[in-house]
Amino acid sequence: MSVARLTNHFRNWRDWETNPIVIKELRQAVRSWTVTGMLLLFLIVLFITSLGFLVTESFDVNANLQLGGSMFSAFVVILAGASVFFIPLYVGIRVAAERKENDPDLLYVSTLSPTRIIFGKFLCGAYVALLFFSACMPFMAFTNLLRGVDLPTVFFILFFLFLVVCAANQVAIFLACLPMSRPFKFLFVIYGIFQSFGVIGTLVAASFSLMRSGIGAMMLHRDFWIGTLTCVLIGLALTGLFFVLSVALISPPSANRARPVRLYITTVWLLGGLLDLNWIWQTKEVQLVAVWAVITAILMFFSLLVVISNADQLSQRVRRKIPPSPLKRAFAFLFFNGAAGGLVWVALISVLTLLATTEILSLGNVWFPKTVLRMTTEQENNLFTISSTTVAYAFAYALTALFLHRKFFPKRPPKLAGLLAVLLAGAWAIAPSIVLFFLNQLSWKSVEGLQLGNVFNIFSLRETADLRPHQIFALGWLLLILLVNAKWFLRQAKTFRPPPSAPPVLE
Amino acid sequence: MKVQVKNLRKEFGKTVAVDNISFSFDSGHVFGFVGPNGAGKTTTMRIISTIEEPSSGDVLLNGISVCEEPELARRAVGYVPDTLPAHADITVHEYLDFFARAYGMRGQKRTQAVEAIEEFTNVIGIREKSLKSLSKGMKQRVSLGRALVYDPDVLVLDEPAAGLDPRARVELRELLMLLAERKKAILISSHILTELTEICNGVVIIERGKILETGTIEDVLKKSTPRRTVAIRLLDTQNAALIKELLQTPFVENARDVANEIHFECTGDEAAACDILGELIAKKFKIIEFRQTKANLEDIFMNVTKGGVQ
Repeated sequence: MSVARLTNHFRNWRDWETNPIVIKELRQAVRSWTVTGMLLLFLIVLFITSLGFLVTESFDVNANLQLGGSMFSAFVVILAGASVFFIPLYVGIRVAAERKENDPDLLYVSTLSPTRIIFGKFLCGAYVALLFFSACMPFMAFTNLLRGVDLPTVFFILFFLFLVVCAANQVAIFLACLPMSRPFKFLFVIYGIFQSFGVIGTLVAASFSLMRSGIGAMMLHRDFWIGTLTCVLIGLALTGLFFVLSVALISPPSANRARPVRLYITTVWLLGGLLDLNWIWQTKEVQLVAVWAVITAILMFFSLLVVISNADQLSQRVRRKIPPSPLKRAFAFLFFNGAAGGLVWVALISVLTLLATTEILSLGNVWFPKTVLRMTTEQENNLFTISSTTVAYAFAYALTALFLHRKFFPKRPPKLAGLLAVLLAGAWAIAPSIVLFFLNQLSWKSVEGLQLGNVFNIFSLRETADLRPHQIFALGWLLLILLVNAKWFLRQAKTFRPPPSAPPVLE
Repeated sequence: MKVQVKNLRKEFGKTVAVDNISFSFDSGHVFGFVGPNGAGKTTTMRIISTIEEPSSGDVLLNGISVCEEPELARRAVGYVPDTLPAHADITVHEYLDFFARAYGMRGQKRTQAVEAIEEFTNVIGIREKSLKSLSKGMKQRVSLGRALVYDPDVLVLDEPAAGLDPRARVELRELLMLLAERKKAILISSHILTELTEICNGVVIIERGKILETGTIEDVLKKSTPRRTVAIRLLDTQNAALIKELLQTPFVENARDVANEIHFECTGDEAAACDILGELIAKKFKIIEFRQTKANLEDIFMNVTKGGVQ
């Protein structure tokens, strides 16, 4: 959105209207027996729990000065259970029901943009969560009168829990948007339910720990706020990622689905790097760079699979948005649909991360010589070799899959290339072990031996000296497959131009 | 508004649901889309309504491609699917109001548009009823109301008369005629062909994803039945003699007795038919009825389709 449009948008604030999805969803939620029933059940459980605590306490002669704390703990468990389990499930099911593969709800053919649809669903989930939290808050505030817990703790835990529920809602929306058949979605629901138990457990444990240490006292320290803000920012970044992914999933195939996702990941990658650098500076521990590097590696691994699953042909609509200026076009190439641009984007981020991490590690040892966890030069070299070899293997698998798809299955959908890359890596990892098994030579020693082409073998090598052959092999393979794909890549780059025709206008 | 379907093809795995079809229709036209079950009607309609993407080909709405600019195209198309709205926990008024909001209508304009549509589709009496509790006919009205609430120029109706009682069908037909008068371009699929004959200006007959016939109703009728069929009713029982006589008359073929009437195919023009009548009267046949039988859409449909599905 341009600055002029943004200014105009805020100037006409009187004409703002609530997102239609929020209105529809909330109207349905209020009428729905699922939400009303769950809320009533939730209130009944809270009431019975409070009554149980108070009645039990009334038989005790000695006054319990921790009663408030105990009651609050019980309420946290109930609230976390209800909100982390029920609300994302409700939101996810509602989205999935409207995105049945054969009968998509007609709201997806309205003029509502995918961003507004997803934001509406997200806001509705947040409102429903707010409803549950509002119902619970008087009970929790009441526990402060019974001693054992301070009000800042109550509100801090509630705030944190609310953020987690919002993030879980967004993940549920993302899963519901995935173009999968119903059995697969059902499997995801089961997986999500098991995961939510883990989240509930972690949340409850964190809440108990915060209660024991007392947040009121910690709030005066700067480190507490830095830590809290870092956690909140990471959570927001992840929620945002699932948001842009959901938007991309429900966008029409002719739209430039790649741009918002790649722009978002690039921004988060840059900001995350800066935040990590700040942490390194504050704590003087250079190893913290690994947090950023590992998260980037995971993101780039999945991005690589998605990128090679992109179609080569750009729709007319996307092509019309290609800038005519060569410089701007070169930049846009990274953020438009298509495997070629995507590969360059992943390669750029991966290589920059690798170089930055190595540089920070070597400079960190000079800047902070008294750091506790220092790395030796040999360890640094090994780390660089492992990382660069892994990146080279990942690209070699991806480019080979892309070539195989183009050469042998050109009529099959492009997502087959992503599947081929995974199969290739998997087959190369399993095949040597199967051969050794049939030769009756499979042993832990053989697994730890050199297996060229097997990316997983790098992490289980017995001799660090074997890293070098792996590196040479991976780079050689990458170079070869780059040459094989060069013609295709150049063709893609050459055809990345705006079309000569003017865009259509609806009368 | 001109709707142009150009070389449309849709494959589902190895099945070709729509095979390279092309046709077009304009504002004020009601175009019937006819074919046996599984012919590819719904798939075509879903592509026109931007719900599905074609494997190849395109649909242009005043030059706007539904593949390239689905968001723009959506502003122009109102789609009434064969599945009825099944939203739980929402009233008719809220449902229509939501879609008016979803199509960017605001404030007073939205309120007026929703009320006008409720009146037009005659759902005012049930506006506060839950959508789920409605009968099929009422749901069909709501579905039509939803498609009309933002006043689109093109209406795509997939089996709107299915399951409706006779009164609801007559009302639907009147509604569609009113919409055609309002210069909407309407594409309607139905298995009730007699109804289509009454309201449609044009027709597309499709089978196994391929177009068998397309054009105005008159053109298709003329094309499908180049020979006129004439029926003769006699006062007395001289049918056998008449058949014998007819078979010796020029321009007459296939004379036969059909339910106490003599039917024959006249290979000549209207003047030839007139001559035949004069000749028969001159030969003292007591003719009380001599009429040209008109083929309808149902006859054409039965003639051109084979009932094949994919």
